[in-house]
Amino acid sequence: MHLKSYLNLYVLLQNDVSTREEQRAFGLEYAKFKKKPVKQLLAWENRYIHNLKKPLLSDDIYSYLYVVTFLLVIIAFILGLLSGITLLSYNGQEPVNVVYFIAMVIFLPLFSIVLAFFSMLRVKNSKSVLLHLTPAYWMEKILNFFPGIDDKNIKNFKINPLLVNWIIIRRSQFIALFFSLGLLLALLGVVITKDIAFAWSTTLHITPETFHSFLNTLALPWREILPTAVPSIELIERSQYFRLGDKLSEEMISNASQLGQWWKFLALATLFYALLLRCVMYGIATLGYKNALKKSFFSLEGVSLILKNMNEPMITTSATVTEHIISSSYKDIQEVRQLKRLYDSVQGWAIPTFKLQVMNDTMNISSQNIFEVGGSNTLSEDRAIAHKSFGEVLLYVKAWEPPTLDIVDYIEELVEVVDKVIVYPIGMEDEMYHTKEKFIKIWIEKISIIDNHKIWIKTP
Amino acid sequence: MINYPRFAVVGHPNKGKSSIVSALALDDSVQISDTPGTTHKQRSFPLKVDGKVLYELIDTPGFQRARYILEWLQKHDVSADKKHEVIQLFINEYEDNKRFNDEIELLKPIVDGAGIIYIVDASKPYGEEYEAEMEILRWTGQPSMALINHIEETDYSLEWKRVLGQYFKMVRTFNPMRANIEDHISILESMAQLKEEWIVPVKSSIVLFEAYHTQMLEKSCEVLSRLVYDALSYKEELSLKTEKVEESDKEKIEEKYKAYLRELEIKTQKKIEKIWKHEHLEKMQTLLTFEEIDLFSQEAASVFGLTRKELLITGATSGAIAGAGIDLLFLGHTLLLGGAIGGLVGGVGAYFGFDELSDIKVLGQKVGKRYLQMGPMKNRNFPYILLGRALYHTSTIAKRSHALRSTVELDTHKTFKEKWLYDDLRASLEKYHKIFRAGESIDADILDDYKILLLKALENINNNYSL
Repeated sequence: MHLKSYLNLYVLLQNDVSTREEQRAFGLEYAKFKKKPVKQLLAWENRYIHNLKKPLLSDDIYSYLYVVTFLLVIIAFILGLLSGITLLSYNGQEPVNVVYFIAMVIFLPLFSIVLAFFSMLRVKNSKSVLLHLTPAYWMEKILNFFPGIDDKNIKNFKINPLLVNWIIIRRSQFIALFFSLGLLLALLGVVITKDIAFAWSTTLHITPETFHSFLNTLALPWREILPTAVPSIELIERSQYFRLGDKLSEEMISNASQLGQWWKFLALATLFYALLLRCVMYGIATLGYKNALKKSFFSLEGVSLILKNMNEPMITTSATVTEHIISSSYKDIQEVRQLKRLYDSVQGWAIPTFKLQVMNDTMNISSQNIFEVGGSNTLSEDRAIAHKSFGEVLLYVKAWEPPTLDIVDYIEELVEVVDKVIVYPIGMEDEMYHTKEKFIKIWIEKISIIDNHKIWIKTP
Repeated sequence: MINYPRFAVVGHPNKGKSSIVSALALDDSVQISDTPGTTHKQRSFPLKVDGKVLYELIDTPGFQRARYILEWLQKHDVSADKKHEVIQLFINEYEDNKRFNDEIELLKPIVDGAGIIYIVDASKPYGEEYEAEMEILRWTGQPSMALINHIEETDYSLEWKRVLGQYFKMVRTFNPMRANIEDHISILESMAQLKEEWIVPVKSSIVLFEAYHTQMLEKSCEVLSRLVYDALSYKEELSLKTEKVEESDKEKIEEKYKAYLRELEIKTQKKIEKIWKHEHLEKMQTLLTFEEIDLFSQEAASVFGLTRKELLITGATSGAIAGAGIDLLFLGHTLLLGGAIGGLVGGVGAYFGFDELSDIKVLGQKVGKRYLQMGPMKNRNFPYILLGRALYHTSTIAKRSHALRSTVELDTHKTFKEKWLYDDLRASLEKYHKIFRAGESIDADILDDYKILLLKALENINNNYSL
């Protein structure tokens, strides 16, 4: 799990690179990761990363963060080095007061560690003042304004604030580590290159015994392993320095070789308080960062859906092939609006003759030849009726029943022997035989395929 | 070798076969028309789970020349156990004959082993012209059931049931236009009973189908929670070029802000429609309005991308560091006053010099930026307006049959809010709205919890409110 992976996943999700089918297929292929969503997401990312445009946003952002961190680390290291050299500057006249150095390598780190610790506790609050105190936060903002790092992609990218906060905390610890390294290097460098007389001095009334006891407490972590790195009471007594007189006392001059023994304590104090504790803080910050990174993965829009798509069975119900749509076209058909009173034949498609009689009475129509066709008739019965038909035929059809090719066949047969066929789509008895417009249209559409001038349709 | 249940949906033309398939297959792409004979080819709608078919629905063309076929069949005087072979014989003989294209298309899956679902429209009276096709289906010897559809309001189902009972093992009523998930499952259960071997696969399909429905509900709520979060946390910024904020600037930012929220709602609706497979939906809905919602735009500024407060902290910290440097130079003789004074001066200077700093140019670039900002949405009622619309839309889409092709109206009635927004739900939702309004990125857990609340609200609407 890496920041780059998070950034790549963000871009992949924005670009919607895989289909639902592919996601499920991937989930089945990597079923072993079903309960390890991060691994599953990383594997998915790996599969589709080649679809992203180069250069990758993750490379841009990561190299930007790298450059900014590198610059800040260099600055911190130089500052640490200079601070160390300044604190340990010895002109041969006045000894170096270890109290300043102790403050710099023990109390300042402890203070900043406490601040960092509280920042970690308040990390969910992105507007935390403690976080804004760190130079890692605001120096980056200022560096942003310099040419070369004004990439729009970087500026527009909204990274999860929790993750940002952990990046800042982690980076602050890293910077502080290098500041401390600078201090240590300065101490070692100065100790090697100069013969320094260390002393301790304070305006406060502190006895050498009290100071010894205090230093002994500070040296607790290493005093058992390296007892020589704990100043003895004699050394403390001999190296107490009083400003009055403005020069080294006789006793100090006579013990000059012993005054340098302080460096071991200072080096160990720097190692432990400024470096080791900082390393621990850096480790905690890294854990927090990794945890935030993991959380950020799941906070990305679309992650939850993609995990569901991978791990839940894919159920589909749709057609496997697209429907071929045939556009309907039909010719006009001659219309009859007013029926005559007498027809050579009246026929009804799937309408029994007794019903045809009732219809004729209602419509005031009469005919000598009334027949039921279609329905339960056999084809040969229909054929016989068609062949004995002549003149003008009124053919009742149930308007509500969609015309089939069966009736088309019959009308085709009929028009071969008669002069005129009037197709009458009739409504239901309950509706007083009233026909709906939409049914008429359907019938016209169907029988127009016969394309014969002998066919007419009765319209309202 | 096909080893899953198949069901051929057959019948007279224009009796709602495609509507029923559309509803049962949750597919709104099926061509449904008043014009008979819209379907010319059989079309398969398999229910697949991870690519494995559990059952298959087959939409078929309607019978066109049933009497001719029945006569052809009846010419072959065979015993009942051989009748299905005659059907196969017919298919073999007429497969390339366009005259019987529709019959071949509908009979083929049946002779291949599909169960028969015969559709009739009981809003129209029974006619003897149906007998030929029912007789043909009987010849196939395949398990069959009749589904009574009601295209219109009139009801002739009694006379239909009397006839259908003579030909089919089961007769059920199903209105594809009004069918809900319970009706759907009930039909699937009937289909399972058609053949003993089909009980297990169709029953497991029912379980999966229910799970599928739950999946869709959950996905919808996930989309809805993202909508509310995005809408509440969104910030629109407009860079200011002049010293004074013009009225036109305020109008401009307001329009952009509203347009973003409307677009967000439209995109969300599309996602919901995609989840429920209603991608061909025609709908009518008024746009999201902002009546009685005060939208405040506030003037803000930054220097180096830092707000005034951040710059104060920055000034104080950098001042303190500079002061500490001076302390170092004097080897602590300043009693660390340098750091304290530096911090104070840096902080105060940064705070009061904020405006002057913003005009400074570094490497040709102005370090300050003044802008108008609208959002995150502070109005406490807005999320409920947005949610009400979104839940109504989702519920309507979730309940809508895939057989419907009419335009759907999505405007909520004023009373709708009372139907879903109970006091305890409002209190629970409000906690999350407060978090969303902060405008920060949030943990997935928070959205998950919010989703559960929406799920309850949606289930409540689906169960208790008739849309």
